[in-house]
Amino acid sequence: MTDKDLASKSPWTTEAMQKRLKKRYRKEAIFKAVGLSGLLIGLCALAILVISIFTTGLSGFKETRLTIDVYMDPAIIKAAPDLDEDARTAHMTRVNHRALIRNSLRLAFPDVKGRRDIMTLQRLTSNGARDEVRQALIDDPTIIGQTIPMNLRASSTVDMYIKGQISRDVEQSARKISDKQLGWLDKLSAEGRIVKGFNWAFFSSGDSREPELAGILGAAVGSLLTLLVTLVIAFPIGVATAIYLEEFAPRNKWTDMIEININNLAAVPSIIFGLLGLAIFLNVFNMPRSAPLVGGLTLALMTLPTIIITSRAAIRAVPPSIREAAIGMGASRVQTQLHHVLPLSLPGILTGTIIGMAQALGETAPLLMIGMVAFIVDVPEGILDAATALPVQIFLWADSAERGFMEKTSAAIIVLLFFLVLMNGLAIWMRHKFEKRW
Amino acid sequence: MENTSKAMIEARNVNVYYDDNHAIKNVDLDISSGTVTALIGPSGCGKSTFLRCINRMNDSIPSCRITGSITLDGQDIYDKAIDVVQLRARVGMVFQKPNPFPKSIYDNVAYGPRIHGFARNSAELDEIVFTSLQKSGLWNEVKDRLDTSGTALSGGQQQRLCIARTIAVNPEVILMDEPCSALDPIATAIIEELIEELRNRFAIVIVTHSMQQAARVSQKTAFFHLGEILEFGDTSEIFTNPKVEKTKDYITGRYG
Repeated sequence: MTDKDLASKSPWTTEAMQKRLKKRYRKEAIFKAVGLSGLLIGLCALAILVISIFTTGLSGFKETRLTIDVYMDPAIIKAAPDLDEDARTAHMTRVNHRALIRNSLRLAFPDVKGRRDIMTLQRLTSNGARDEVRQALIDDPTIIGQTIPMNLRASSTVDMYIKGQISRDVEQSARKISDKQLGWLDKLSAEGRIVKGFNWAFFSSGDSREPELAGILGAAVGSLLTLLVTLVIAFPIGVATAIYLEEFAPRNKWTDMIEININNLAAVPSIIFGLLGLAIFLNVFNMPRSAPLVGGLTLALMTLPTIIITSRAAIRAVPPSIREAAIGMGASRVQTQLHHVLPLSLPGILTGTIIGMAQALGETAPLLMIGMVAFIVDVPEGILDAATALPVQIFLWADSAERGFMEKTSAAIIVLLFFLVLMNGLAIWMRHKFEKRW
Repeated sequence: MENTSKAMIEARNVNVYYDDNHAIKNVDLDISSGTVTALIGPSGCGKSTFLRCINRMNDSIPSCRITGSITLDGQDIYDKAIDVVQLRARVGMVFQKPNPFPKSIYDNVAYGPRIHGFARNSAELDEIVFTSLQKSGLWNEVKDRLDTSGTALSGGQQQRLCIARTIAVNPEVILMDEPCSALDPIATAIIEELIEELRNRFAIVIVTHSMQQAARVSQKTAFFHLGEILEFGDTSEIFTNPKVEKTKDYITGRYG
């Protein structure tokens, strides 16, 4: 064979090689397409979730109010003029506010007659309207005897109708709002007495049986207190465990077993931690039921493996040369840890902790087991008060029959998602801020 | 004080095992102050392992076992009464890859004096940092940016910062584990000059893969082969007139 023959028979120019090349390109294209389609499916699912939550949830942040001229009838209020402030407040609380509103509504709709119709008329307003009248009387007692135009909270049914959730085209028997009520609402609407506004009460009150009065604050504070307990317990224990396992513990079959068990614990279903909390904290230690203390302890057990695993990874990521440098300088092992390894691994540890906390924030099942699923109206004031948490509140509302709770559920989900995004954003920010390069 | 004649570090019959692997075999070596001792030999011959025995850096390797004795000023460093943390300050170490702490230049140098309580006030600490940086030849280059990160320096400057950090705690011996292998020729030349200056104050042991470097900077040379010292003597003697055939092969580049 001559040199020329060799050149023409170069393996890189044969037809078979061309085919192989084409096949390789095709495989690469398929691989890319599969990955991309996976990503697209995920993005679509996320988009559907977000859109559906926001379309139903955003109206939950709005409320409907009816402008009614309330006559502060001295005959009903019967206030003695010489009361001091405390006594006056107590008296105003006992006033028959319902009658005040009823009489004012009758003045606004003089042609409504009959006990039943008057009751139906009054049902346009929420029970919460009474509290608003009471508050007005407490704030300014001089309004007694006057007629004050007030924006009273509408009942959930009216709210739903105004927001378009109830259609008037449906048979009267099939909808919650009667034809008469629709007529009255039309009159109010024509007079510009239907006001839509931002529902501040949603963020400033606790749970309620009535959707228009239900708020998220109690659950949010409950979640905050629970997470606080979780953080205080899980962070120091988790980081200490991680440092010990990574830097001090001997490598033998015991530590291997501990490592396997920690990894297994991270995968244990959360409801089992709930049962553990129920059995230990409630039954053995007799801690208060439904309290953020117990919820926090239970979630701490659940979060510990996450914190330990991420912290160990962060500690392992510190280059050994830094440890050698410190030890070579005559730093003790504890000094090496505290002065060098810990500060360098802190961003990773904090990121892991925040992600663990975000997980705990969204956890529902263990809280059900320890009684944080109760209907609690008051905003908790300490870790021993009965409380519920955001995801449990969502669960409770999603389970409620009233139509009005549907948008509240979605609104609560938006609040929860907001906190989750906030925490994850904080994790990313911290990593960028504290990360050091070497 | 018979400074140069008396050996500071005496290693006698040192054996090191990693589990079943016999890494160092019956090594005897004397290291004197005022001298640069070079440890040369092919890869995996145990030079670095031996170096790390002198300040007990091998303690952190669980599988590592050491027999024999190494004395520093007549004191056995593997004695139970010896505080290993203090020993590592007395026997400083400069590593192959420059490894300054990700802290400011000042804090890098001040770290040792701080943890060992060498300075009573900040003025004294400033003084230690100043002299250490000056001895390591870095002062003029960094005096205006002591608060910038040590990791922002060039490779050669980082290595000199590591040397400054080591001498700040006033060691008696400085161990250097291939200190120039990650550096360019110019930075290497600067470090070699520095080693020559430091020789007057410290005993220096340097592990190197470069024959020329060993010949340039050291007064004594030990040739390691498969965990044994085949030849130990004056550098000039070893490089001009090696007694062992293997040594000759190695330094002439025929082996290793």
